[in-house]
Amino acid sequence: MNSRQARLFAIGSTAAATIIFLGLTIDSHRQFPTLTNAENITPEVKHGMAVWHKYNCINCHTLFGEGAYYAPDLTKITKHRGQEYLKAYMRNPALFYDEQRHRRLMPNQNLGEEEISDLIAFLDWVSNVDNQGWPPRPILVTGGMVPGAMAALSGGDVNAAPPGLKPVDPDDDDRALGEQVFFTAVPACSACHSTAPDVNLAGPTMAGLRGRTEALLAAGDYGGQAEDVAGYIRESIVSPSAHLVPGAMYSAGGVSFMPDTYDSDLTEEQLDQLVAYLMSLN
Amino acid sequence: MRYKSQSVAYWYFAVAMVLFGLQLVFGLLSAAKYLGPDPLLYILPFDVTKTIHTNLLIVWVLTGFMGATYWMVPDESRAELHSVKLAYIQLGLWTIMGVTAIIGYLFRYGTGNKLLEQPLPHKIVIVICMLIFLYNIGMTIRKAGRFTTTEGVLLLGLASSALLFLPALLHYENYTVSIFYRWWTIHLWVEGVWMMIMGAFLAYLLIRLSGVDREVMDKWLYVIVGLVFIAGILGTAHHYYWVGVPTYWLPIGGFFSALEPAALVAMAMYAYAAIRRSGLAHPNGIALHWTVGAAVFTLFGAGLLGLAHTWPGVNRWTHGTLVTAMHGHAAFYGAYAMIVLAMITYALPSLTRGRPEKGSSLGYWAFWTQLVGMFGMTLSFATAGIGQVYLERIMGMGYLDAQLKIQVHFLMLIATASVFALGVGMFIYDFFRYPPRAPETAGEGTPVGDNAIPVQ
Repeated sequence: MNSRQARLFAIGSTAAATIIFLGLTIDSHRQFPTLTNAENITPEVKHGMAVWHKYNCINCHTLFGEGAYYAPDLTKITKHRGQEYLKAYMRNPALFYDEQRHRRLMPNQNLGEEEISDLIAFLDWVSNVDNQGWPPRPILVTGGMVPGAMAALSGGDVNAAPPGLKPVDPDDDDRALGEQVFFTAVPACSACHSTAPDVNLAGPTMAGLRGRTEALLAAGDYGGQAEDVAGYIRESIVSPSAHLVPGAMYSAGGVSFMPDTYDSDLTEEQLDQLVAYLMSLN
Repeated sequence: MRYKSQSVAYWYFAVAMVLFGLQLVFGLLSAAKYLGPDPLLYILPFDVTKTIHTNLLIVWVLTGFMGATYWMVPDESRAELHSVKLAYIQLGLWTIMGVTAIIGYLFRYGTGNKLLEQPLPHKIVIVICMLIFLYNIGMTIRKAGRFTTTEGVLLLGLASSALLFLPALLHYENYTVSIFYRWWTIHLWVEGVWMMIMGAFLAYLLIRLSGVDREVMDKWLYVIVGLVFIAGILGTAHHYYWVGVPTYWLPIGGFFSALEPAALVAMAMYAYAAIRRSGLAHPNGIALHWTVGAAVFTLFGAGLLGLAHTWPGVNRWTHGTLVTAMHGHAAFYGAYAMIVLAMITYALPSLTRGRPEKGSSLGYWAFWTQLVGMFGMTLSFATAGIGQVYLERIMGMGYLDAQLKIQVHFLMLIATASVFALGVGMFIYDFFRYPPRAPETAGEGTPVGDNAIPVQ
């Protein structure tokens, strides 16, 4: 190869790659509206995106896996957590996590209420973008889907619990306290229930519990005493056999396999917190 | 220094050195926050230190590129710069832009768009600086009437950098579309046109240091440019995997980014072959270390470590973890930091007074300490990242819990980063140890021209 041929190779390959790239760019533009549900980019979503940029969120968190790696990915966060939870969290993250234990804490951004709700609208739009099914498994903020891994080392001792379960102040948010109960009750709820969508262990996943219960209550196949979702969750903790979730691994002969000891072992306050936590999972 | 006007390069390099030092301060601060708790949570939170860390990198590397260009073009075109005054105005404007941007970030004044955080006024100043720069270089070459291949590649790389910055000036209402065009700037810079710039500097240094035949180097430079762009342009697709674009970007990204190391292998071979041909006769041994080091470390950091997580089936699991930080640190250091340091080391004996051409042992210590430190940092990010991928992405442990399980790697990161910082500290000290030579003394001192190779 002489110098002229080498130059032709450089120019030719660059030109070919550029033309293909531009062609694909044009085609991508044709597909963006469908893939990203562009019709759902409301003024709230746009404002939410401005809030995302204004507070420099991307230099700690990731979105679509892009950003810094210092805080959790938020691509699907609205699929995992309910609006009320996210709002309460953004009003004051310190009510949910503890810097001494987690070694990291999100500084309070002092967001206005409108900023918070529009940011959630933006994140919800993001969660619905067709992005080739990423992440392949849900990325959780805390907890886990491995049975036992997150259980307390010895019965009920919050200090022996994995650090991700913050021993919270009594003044902290009920949902944060409930999460702690979920992992530290004896036996730990987390030993049989995951909080990840579609990950069913010995018991069904807690993700989407609220939505499933609403559907159950509306459908009329429910035989228990509860009037609403919160009532149903409470009932299923204290009296697991009141309504049986279908599945041979969950019950037999009309009796649930879930321990029925929580009624006596959990305090009334702990029950409230646990219900509040489970209600916050999407 | 054969041309008086080459002395502007010294001041560009000096600014680059100061910013490089500052970059490490903010890098170490950010790393310390991984251990936590953070006493500066409400004064200097992670997002601020991280923004400053990455922005300083971009600014100092570009400052280095500009300085190196102002050094190289007179040498190649055998003429004084078109306007020294314009070059100083450009440096002043550029430095003010960089410093005010950093101060702004301390107060959260920025766009919050990763790596393109510069507010619009700053972006406009960046464009103005680039235009002044290209004009000044272009006029120098035009007036001289001598235009080498190395210069051509360099100039095309610089002009394309300016052009590719333009999409970053626009506002997009669809977040996915804004990501799509953000990579036109970021990816096509670092894996496209900056590679051209790097290739041009590499060719220049190899021709000067090894005295290898220019014809041969020019030919291979074209081949490298061709390989960079075949793979680099369509390789942009590896940033498009999971962001809401059509599916065909996945196989395209996989295939073409797997080709990306080809150009880097070619560069390393190019450097090695040049040395095999002409030996290591040039007295400036440290410059040779940095030059060959850049080619080899780029192959490792950009090529090998990029390849490690670029395939869609792998990237599905590693995307957005510290595995990316592993690749990012090694690639940027090898490809861009080291080539700038190579140009500085090469030019320094002529730019300063009293500095021995063959360098000092401090210079070698700076080289090896940095290399050991950066290699250790890369390993720390790699082990942390692999741990994160297994615990968080595969086993499904929550993010916060998984981060706590990989704390030991953050300790290792801080330890090795301190070693690296020590190496950089030595380099900076060595840089400022000798005063700059007055421009009037051009032509004196050690010649570094085409025929400067001592015959043995």
